[in-house]
Amino acid sequence: MASSFELTRNITVGQYLPTGSIIHRLDPRCKLAAFVILILGIAFCGTYGSNVLALILCTALFPLARIPIRYGLSGVKPAIPFILILAILQLLFYGKGFGTGGQTYFHYGFVTITSDSLRLVVVSAMRFVEVIFLSSVLTLSTSTTELTHGMEHLLMPLRKVGFPVHAFALIITIAVRFVPTFALEMEKMMKAQASRGAEFGTGSWWRIVQRTKDMFPIIIPLFNVALKRAEDLILAMEARCYTPTDERTTYKRYHASAKDVFAVVTSLVIVAVLFAIPV
Amino acid sequence: MTDSIILVEDLDHVYMKNTPLEHQALYSVNMTVARGECVAIIGHTGSGKSTLIQHLNGLQRPQKGRVVIDGLDLSQRKLDVRALRRKVGLVFQNPEDQIFEKLVGDDIAYGPLKQGLSIKEVTERAKWAMEVVGLSFADMKDRETFALSGGEKRKVALAGVLALRPEILVLDEPTAGLDPCSRKDLLERIRYLNQSENLTVVFVSHNMEEVAYLAHRVYVMANGRVVCEGTPRHVFGNADILHKYHIGMPETVEILHRLKRKGYAVNPEAYEVQETVQEILSILPAAGR
Repeated sequence: MASSFELTRNITVGQYLPTGSIIHRLDPRCKLAAFVILILGIAFCGTYGSNVLALILCTALFPLARIPIRYGLSGVKPAIPFILILAILQLLFYGKGFGTGGQTYFHYGFVTITSDSLRLVVVSAMRFVEVIFLSSVLTLSTSTTELTHGMEHLLMPLRKVGFPVHAFALIITIAVRFVPTFALEMEKMMKAQASRGAEFGTGSWWRIVQRTKDMFPIIIPLFNVALKRAEDLILAMEARCYTPTDERTTYKRYHASAKDVFAVVTSLVIVAVLFAIPV
Repeated sequence: MTDSIILVEDLDHVYMKNTPLEHQALYSVNMTVARGECVAIIGHTGSGKSTLIQHLNGLQRPQKGRVVIDGLDLSQRKLDVRALRRKVGLVFQNPEDQIFEKLVGDDIAYGPLKQGLSIKEVTERAKWAMEVVGLSFADMKDRETFALSGGEKRKVALAGVLALRPEILVLDEPTAGLDPCSRKDLLERIRYLNQSENLTVVFVSHNMEEVAYLAHRVYVMANGRVVCEGTPRHVFGNADILHKYHIGMPETVEILHRLKRKGYAVNPEAYEVQETVQEILSILPAAGR
């Protein structure tokens, strides 16, 4: 019998699976760059063929990173309602405004379904899955430290225009780092309040006020704990003389090797191929 | 043991089953607790203590094996979990974190109110719970929870669970992080609940003085297994087990074990302070008395 309280099980953000595969060993800067290139590529290519290819490639990343595909699928699962709602809305309303080209399959009142709008629906659903797969592989194969270092390096040029790159990277690190911590904290809180007779999510869905009130015994202590932790963190950082404005060095230096450059080039080639596919 | 209110049989538990992070926390654990008994569970972090006690009020359900609490079988899917939780009050580690109401009285009344009791009944229960943990109902019920001291908060949280009038009280490191004074006070309260209010108490502790003070029986856990079980006398007298699983011993026992190693004829099972004094006196030359 599965426990209804095992929250961490469903949280894949910030989870790192150290399998030591080639994907894991890529230079984080290059990995991140390749990731951004691929995401952009997926965002802008809108044909069936290119998305089928992209989906295949994204799926192939899992065995390459030696990560069970289950992880990617468990990321897709919570997104299914969004994908469905989006698909329905697009199917109903896109035929008129955007996807007016192509053949018209169905027309009734304000609902128009054309081959273009249908393609848009299918393609955006596929894109969703591709993006989730890609980001799952990225976060599962890269530790948060590597990820933020990579991001910091890539954003460095923005320093010239006064963007606080380091502070930004730090914010991201802290946010990501504390996701599992707060999940555990919340799990504990749910258990503690359940022990006192609280019930969560059992009321009828239309009694929104009651259901929201049911969450207070968890939300309020959780905020409390979060603020306490934030204070502790500040103290710990200040005790180590942390100064955000100073020039910082890292103990790990990254050197992009041939395979890292190869990864970036490959992703560029893939994007080029995706755009080249006509249908 | 015929009248066992808690029965744990052959219990296994695996966390994050079917993921690469799978981790088995319990391996065929057996435990029985008689009505009115006070049982301590000791063992290192990660030995499975917390997982075990979460089975006692149905936060975890047995994956394999059996847990029966006063006739309620947790393996049954249709079990009335709320009835079980009314019977078993579980106090988590640092329970003061779970306080969420603005006023002390409201927080303590949360559980009973959820049970749908009348206001009168709820007030009575809150009053009883507060008095029993040593908070004056009249003075404290309208105090703001955030302005309390650590020890008071702990008591409020404990009262919040006691207000459910459980028959079994399960505590996870009840005194961790308290100052010595509050610690002693809390231990006395727990002892009172066990002895005078007839609550069955199961508690997890790292503090062996506490265990020596409260427990009738001790379960020693290591790596998800119960490795030793018995009266404090039996467990503390067994230096091999204590060393093997790196479990501390009460200072009284430690002195006796040391004396014994030096070749003095003392009985290391005499863990209560008065007994220990007698043992030490018995080996002193007569002139010393």
